[in-house]
Amino acid sequence: MPKWWTIMLFVMAFPFIYLCMNRVFHVTVMCITMNVAIMLVFIYAPTEKMQGIVQKIFYFHVSSAITMFFAFFLVCVASIMYLWKTSDWWDSIALSAAEIGVVFCTLVLITGPLWARPIWGTWWSWDPTLTLTLVLWLIYVAYLMLRIETYDPQRARFAAILGIIGFVDVPVIRWSVEKWRTLHPKPVLIQEGGTTGLTSAMLLTFLVCVGAFFLLFFYLLRERISVAQSRHALEVLRHEIDEICVG
Amino acid sequence: MKNVWYLFAAYSTIWTALCVYMIRLSQKNKELQAELRDLRTQLERVVTK
Amino acid sequence: MSKNSNSCIALMSDSKIFLQQVLALLAKDLKTEWRTREIFTSMFVFAVLVVVVFNFAIGADTELIRQVASGVIWIALSFASVLGLQRTGQMEREEDSLQGVLLALHDRSALFVARMLAQMLYLLVVVICTLPLCGIWFRIDFIACIGGLCVVFALGMLGLSIVGTLFGMIALHTRACEVMLPMLFLPVSIPLTIAAVQATAQLIDGKSLRDIADYLVLIGIFDVVFFVLVLMVFDYIVEE
Repeated sequence: MPKWWTIMLFVMAFPFIYLCMNRVFHVTVMCITMNVAIMLVFIYAPTEKMQGIVQKIFYFHVSSAITMFFAFFLVCVASIMYLWKTSDWWDSIALSAAEIGVVFCTLVLITGPLWARPIWGTWWSWDPTLTLTLVLWLIYVAYLMLRIETYDPQRARFAAILGIIGFVDVPVIRWSVEKWRTLHPKPVLIQEGGTTGLTSAMLLTFLVCVGAFFLLFFYLLRERISVAQSRHALEVLRHEIDEICVG
Repeated sequence: MKNVWYLFAAYSTIWTALCVYMIRLSQKNKELQAELRDLRTQLERVVTK
Repeated sequence: MSKNSNSCIALMSDSKIFLQQVLALLAKDLKTEWRTREIFTSMFVFAVLVVVVFNFAIGADTELIRQVASGVIWIALSFASVLGLQRTGQMEREEDSLQGVLLALHDRSALFVARMLAQMLYLLVVVICTLPLCGIWFRIDFIACIGGLCVVFALGMLGLSIVGTLFGMIALHTRACEVMLPMLFLPVSIPLTIAAVQATAQLIDGKSLRDIADYLVLIGIFDVVFFVLVLMVFDYIVEE
């Protein structure tokens, strides 16, 4: 039986999402949550015994990773909708989510080694999730390049196909990397043990960080979709002006 | 506390990257909106002619 | 009852036409290739070059070379695959015959299946020619595990052909297609490469097919998932 506060959170999520449609409200809530998250990370959350202060990278590293996966999931959904409905709106969502996903992916790939170096003594460890992130980075950078390099009528369609394939590939990549990883020697830990598990204070901090990153993701998504839609509107206008001038 | 530089590097990377991206996006948005307004006035002028 | 049997007959005759068209396209591609043997030659020479260069890069340690042999073979196959697809794409752009072929087809995905089978046959011939050379240079006895190797190579090359043909057709419409094809093809085929390399390495070490069942399942799932996916989206690739 789920606890009463999880039910409350779930029920309150809907009016909250509705209120966030208003840009000012969204930005305000995002800034407040981000500030609260930073305070929680640096002041409230206890320093982990084994790993020391470096463990605090975990909050933003894992939040970025979760946001990145959600972004690529959104690319897949928007790509399927685009192939079905052929509407520019879905194409803009796919492109924006992919670009923001690549940004968060890069952040995961940078903070991961920065966390691994003091803990494991090595910058890179071919850990399954980190390797999966690297492969996804390659695939979605190729997605962005495909959009730049393709001629116009097919651009959105090909990108949509790649968006679907990239995300469908994720479980296959994850499985294969895990099987491959069992052969790879585990890094020698400079400090003993991994984490001692998350205390409730750490869990709360982590959840607030994830919430803050999701709000940030949706803000960036709004801005990027607005850029994409403006570009499209510009093209349509230029085309109209050309037609009138020629005709 | 000896590893605090890694923590500093990680958080400053995240914040710099996100801020640069947000600033770039809002600049691009402003430019595009201005260009749209110009083109719309141009279109009206052409249509009324 | 008669409605069911009518739709069954329609389905059977559809499949018959599909198969006929696939075979016709495949025969045309193979006949063209047989005349010039361009694609196969470039793929084979490139695969051999990759193997030789890797040999020099790794050094003289025979045990080390034996351990990395399967990786080298599959890298050579992947790169040869990319080269073959680029040549096929280049020839198609020069001839510009795609629209004509598509109009003549009852079901457009026959083109994809035919291309995929052609690519698989080229890779098969490259493997048959390269494997003995690898056996000699790396001092590995491939004959001992030839049965298992056949299964692994068949499934692996099927996967490489499916993904390669898809991205070959997509990259054809881009400005920098020589760059885009490997950029698209290599990351997506990473799980296939991982599983195939491990399966081959374990077979060379003397393990049986049962021991590598996990990897075979992975490659099989990869092949099936991508084959179905590509068939679903193929119409979107070729429509104008």
